[in-house]
Amino acid sequence: MEPAKKQTATQSQKLMVFVLTMALYGLATLFTELIPKFQVGIVEFSVEYFLFIPLTLSMLFDPLSAALGAATGELVFSEIMLGQFGGLGELEKFITVTIGVYMAGRMVKNPQNTKMVGVAAITGTGLQLLMGTVVDILKVQLAVEDFEAVAGLPESVFATEGFAFLNDLLFSGILFCLLPTLFLVPKLYGKIEPLLGMRPRDKKTGLGSINGKVILGSLVAFAVAIGAEMLAENGTALIEWEAEWAESGTALAIGMVAAAVVAIIALIAMKSSAGKGNAERS
Amino acid sequence: METARHKKLSENILDKLSLDFLRNQVLKNAYGNDDTVIARLDPRILLAWYLVLGIVPWFVQDLWFLMGCFLLVLVTTKLARVAGLVLLLFGVGVFSQTGYLFVVSLFFGGDSSTIAPLLVLTLKVATCSLASITVFSGLDPDRLSNGLMWYGCPERLSFSISYAYRILPMLMEEFQNILLSFRMRGNPPLHETFRGKIRYLFYQVKMIMQAFYPLMLNTAKRSRTTVEALEIKGYRYAAVNKTVKKIKLATLRVTYNDLLFLAVSFLWISLSILASTLF
Repeated sequence: MEPAKKQTATQSQKLMVFVLTMALYGLATLFTELIPKFQVGIVEFSVEYFLFIPLTLSMLFDPLSAALGAATGELVFSEIMLGQFGGLGELEKFITVTIGVYMAGRMVKNPQNTKMVGVAAITGTGLQLLMGTVVDILKVQLAVEDFEAVAGLPESVFATEGFAFLNDLLFSGILFCLLPTLFLVPKLYGKIEPLLGMRPRDKKTGLGSINGKVILGSLVAFAVAIGAEMLAENGTALIEWEAEWAESGTALAIGMVAAAVVAIIALIAMKSSAGKGNAERS
Repeated sequence: METARHKKLSENILDKLSLDFLRNQVLKNAYGNDDTVIARLDPRILLAWYLVLGIVPWFVQDLWFLMGCFLLVLVTTKLARVAGLVLLLFGVGVFSQTGYLFVVSLFFGGDSSTIAPLLVLTLKVATCSLASITVFSGLDPDRLSNGLMWYGCPERLSFSISYAYRILPMLMEEFQNILLSFRMRGNPPLHETFRGKIRYLFYQVKMIMQAFYPLMLNTAKRSRTTVEALEIKGYRYAAVNKTVKKIKLATLRVTYNDLLFLAVSFLWISLSILASTLF
């Protein structure tokens, strides 16, 4: 028995888990992106998350590969493929999904212990939703100038975000994360692992429960997500300063227009002289 | 008569939202527009262009500038010939979000003065998403992943993009087959009455969840095959090898058209800055 060797899957097995989670979760998020949400009153019935897929896989396989695969799958399938890539916001989503799924995966030592699976599933979902809510509130505060001054806006943002959090946790969390995970984990346990050439997770092959290191790592990652927002705040000052500088002269703007026109004329001239096709790298 | 027409309408909508339709739209979005102006541009140039138009509007409050950016990305989206479904999703997403915020802020004592900042917010969100729609649906997935790789994105991301586009049609077909076989063997509850309809909805959702069980097993097998095939080709070593990367990226070339595209965008944006300084 070499526990150190048994604990970690080989590199190619990790890649398999990554590809598996990415493909499945990507497919699921594509559906959620395409299926319209419907609202009954103010309660939103959205199939917000098929988060049960990465949750299940992270409890059965290497949690980190599954978590990264899920986040990448969501990014690639539902954001990039549909052209809804949102820049900075995606980083935050990527990190929160990774943390939520990874935590849930690390919490489960024995996938046959249904109680623990349930607790882990709802904790992972709640964690992801909570982090998303915090970042969302920060985002609106950043985007709207004089946030406090607009009548009714701060309260409404807190209310909508808080309500959305509870709604998602109670509706999507239980219906689409907790129940399917409870159904799938015991059913897949021992069946899906041999397909990837691995041994089912038990006391020997498990990674051990959450320790301080994991929590610290997650906190650092979440700090990075918040840090991106703070960076944006600093960037605001920087670019606004530049804008002021630009405002100081209409002449400067005219200069920019003139430069652009000259560049366009020069490029057209160069293009026609160079002829079609194999243009030189400039 | 009335119920018959009602049924027809709902069937019509369901027809439109079938898996086949979704698959066609996604594939059309990915591969259907290779011949547009946007698709022929260099991916690196387009990504740089996106970085500017996707980030700068967040930090600017000037209405003229924002309008200018918005019109620019509107034109490029038109040029990229994006699939209709994506544009519909974009519209619903942007306006439902800010509209909802507006309605709720009315409850908390806001009035029409709340509209102006929300309009600015909508404009920003719309500009950034349209810019990303232009770049990420306008470009061929392979060119896109090459461009991302040139900027030093991890190889795994560009692999994921290429892989995703190839595996998606297969996965969707498989999922549909599983659903069909469930439907053939299943016994759905009657859905004439309201309670029956709710039960039917839950039945459908449950079926979709259960369909993931065979799908997971099948995909596990498939992903093992994929990874083994990759290993035979030495993927994990090639992914970090500089020479391989260089060979892969040798096809990228900046032409005069790319520079012209940048210059025209620059002209338009500087014109909008000029407008904002004049008025």
